[in-house]
Amino acid sequence: MVMCTPAQWPDDGGAADPERPAGSVPSSRPVDLGSVGTRQAVRDHWLRRLGLQRRLHDGASLQISALVPRLGVVRKQLSDDEDGVRLSIDDLQDQLHTVLQELREVSREIYPPLLDQAGLGPALCEFADRVAVPLRVVAPAERFGPEVEGAVYFAVTQCLALLEAGGPPVEVVVRREGKVLVVSLDGVPARHAVQVLSQVQGLGGQVGVAEGPGSGTITVRIPCA
Amino acid sequence: MRVALAEDGALFREGLLMLLEAAGHEVVGSTADGDALVELLDTEPADVAILDIRMPPGPDGGLVTAERLRALHADMGLLFLSHYAESHYLMRILQIGTEAIGYRLKEKVGSVDVLSDTLARIRAGEIVIEPVLAKRLVEHPRGERKGAVESLSPRELDVLRLMAEGRSNNGIAAQLFVTPKAVEKHIASIFGKLRLAEDATEHHRRVLAVLTYLRAQRDED
Repeated sequence: MVMCTPAQWPDDGGAADPERPAGSVPSSRPVDLGSVGTRQAVRDHWLRRLGLQRRLHDGASLQISALVPRLGVVRKQLSDDEDGVRLSIDDLQDQLHTVLQELREVSREIYPPLLDQAGLGPALCEFADRVAVPLRVVAPAERFGPEVEGAVYFAVTQCLALLEAGGPPVEVVVRREGKVLVVSLDGVPARHAVQVLSQVQGLGGQVGVAEGPGSGTITVRIPCA
Repeated sequence: MRVALAEDGALFREGLLMLLEAAGHEVVGSTADGDALVELLDTEPADVAILDIRMPPGPDGGLVTAERLRALHADMGLLFLSHYAESHYLMRILQIGTEAIGYRLKEKVGSVDVLSDTLARIRAGEIVIEPVLAKRLVEHPRGERKGAVESLSPRELDVLRLMAEGRSNNGIAAQLFVTPKAVEKHIASIFGKLRLAEDATEHHRRVLAVLTYLRAQRDED
């Protein structure tokens, strides 16, 4: 198996050892808390976003959805001469749908529910609707954890959102190489690599580019368990 | 109509239960998870089972439960209600069945008329798909399908959208205030432009052809 762990990446075993007795941290050499702390902070960041998205769904969204059939029951109880009230209820139900659609949009921007529920492949496929050029996605069904999936999803989608209509088709391929998740974006301008890097560097991700005629390939490598 | 309901959100379950009863349907039982629904339907036959997608058992318990129900009660209609209208779930639902099956947003079946119409169409063997999702599928066909769909006229796009919702020719005619004959003409033209083989005899096959066409990539997954 090829091990492509970047030099900066701490070994999983040494990152946080619960077996280590309290107070036994050696003082004779510097403890590399830099990258460990960053990784934990990035993980917390994604878990917080995921938690907020789930809370929006389990709380506000479900409560609003439940109001709609209740209004339908009220509408059914109206007498024949109350058409005005009937129209008001129709209008209120339409507005509740609009509110829910807005909440869905916000949820998607915080942490896409489909990414949480089904992983990178389905979530990226669903995003194809929002991309100006034809998009093909190849991804394994395997799950990689909320922070890696979140970072990869937003790295890829923010890059794809920059593409203009009329450009070449793009292929996104997600695959595992040992303990590294490799994502290649084929058919995108190499200049978008900066956007991609900003999303993944907190997780020790690296970004490489290859220029092609008209468009290139951006390759992302992120350590994963 | 005899209806059974499984939904883990108590608030929505209660609301829907009240609406079903207000609409004059007989609710044979309501449960908070799929396993209890299967057990219930073992002794209480129903015309249509209404299921939440995201409920126990498991994360997509509604889909797992529906597979069991289709095997146990082949004639019973299935209506999925969800907070999400995603093509990912639509494709999984169509793998369970392409007849007497529906997928709608929870808040879009909030009136007696819409709820009863949805249930009646499913009971009649049709596919019913949330209009919001059908619209998205038609407006954003995948990849290489884009060009062919862009060649359709605005009226043909209206017809394609209603076909993707699972509407019959008569249903499409009523929605667009045109004759069924005019709808047939539009459909022939759409199938020609999309290079799809037309099968006018089987309504659900036609819907399936449209959906498969609009989401071609899904088959390669």
